Amino acid sequence: MSGRHAFPFALLALALLGGCVTTSPEARRVLDEAQAELLAIRTEPAVRLSAAKDLERAEESLERAERFSSYLGSEEDVLHYAYLSRRYSQIAREHGAQRQAAERVAQLEKERERLQLALSEARLITAEQQGEWLEEQLLGQATTETERGLVMTLGDVLFDTGRAELRASATRTVLQVAKFLRLNQRRVVRIEGYTDSQGDAALNLELSRGRAQSVRDMLVDLGVDGKRIQVAGYGEAYPVAENASNQGRARNRRVEIVFSDEEGTLGAER
Amino acid sequence: MNSARFSIALLFVLLAGCASDPAPHEQLRLSEVALVQARAVGAGEEQAELALAQGKYEQARAALAAGRHKEARLLAEQAELDAQLAEAQLLIQKSNKQVAALEQQVGALRQQLEAL
Repeated sequence: MSGRHAFPFALLALALLGGCVTTSPEARRVLDEAQAELLAIRTEPAVRLSAAKDLERAEESLERAERFSSYLGSEEDVLHYAYLSRRYSQIAREHGAQRQAAERVAQLEKERERLQLALSEARLITAEQQGEWLEEQLLGQATTETERGLVMTLGDVLFDTGRAELRASATRTVLQVAKFLRLNQRRVVRIEGYTDSQGDAALNLELSRGRAQSVRDMLVDLGVDGKRIQVAGYGEAYPVAENASNQGRARNRRVEIVFSDEEGTLGAER
Repeated sequence: MNSARFSIALLFVLLAGCASDPAPHEQLRLSEVALVQARAVGAGEEQAELALAQGKYEQARAALAAGRHKEARLLAEQAELDAQLAEAQLLIQKSNKQVAALEQQVGALRQQLEAL
């Protein structure tokens, strides 16, 4: 009878002894603090993403401290590993905060860029509303009033010889055309390509069309509805100068943008 | 008799534990690296954690020189993490400053936009 009860009692006594003797209140307090520190951050997504390693080490160190706390005379180790665990938790927390700050920086930089763009755009529109813009910008760009309507000539310098891709320097001009079309929603345009008389006529026809198409593509990229843009290639036809001289040929290599009137009526194709 | 034997065995284990503690040269090196790194990002002695790290590192070196290997290891391990924390704190301070500056710029831009 008494033998049957003695065993559990002995176990209980051992457990109590183990609990009391080896863990001083100081050690218990330090362990609790380390545990609290870890609990506070272990589920934070930013911490888990950026400091998984530190989190893992904080857990390992705490387990070690707990293990030592059940051995006699290991107070020093308990305090030590609890200290390390707290430090790892604190480092993990800072790394998590660092990640969030970096995300915030990226977000703010994007926002700043967007606002700067909007601001310069808004300033431009303000100028446009005062009626300055059309005259200054568009009419300044070799725009002539012809029987075909308002015609803007984009010179040869906007393309490399024999190539249909627009040079970077053309961007500004095309950007202005895009803005003009955005502000004048009813107007439509026809983009016409021309070449000089050198080389194969069929190739020149193709090149002239390709160049006009490049300008159209860029306008569409800039938000102009493609339905408002016609494209034509005339090759060597309709020269504006003699093809005998270099200068004359350079003038003949061009893209012309023909603007419709305000009602959207465009002159017939040539 | 049994408990006497156990005590002696325990004593041996404990003694062995002390005697076999190797000299923590590698740990001291790691601690030094952590200190150098914290200073490299701009942490200074005015930061409590860095001063703590430096103090423990020096104590660890002294303990090592005196042959107290375990003490040297514990101090050096703590010094390493103190220095790492100092570094992390400094980096987050820098980022927070950057965020504040950007927020100000964005605010100014918004005002300019509204004024138009």
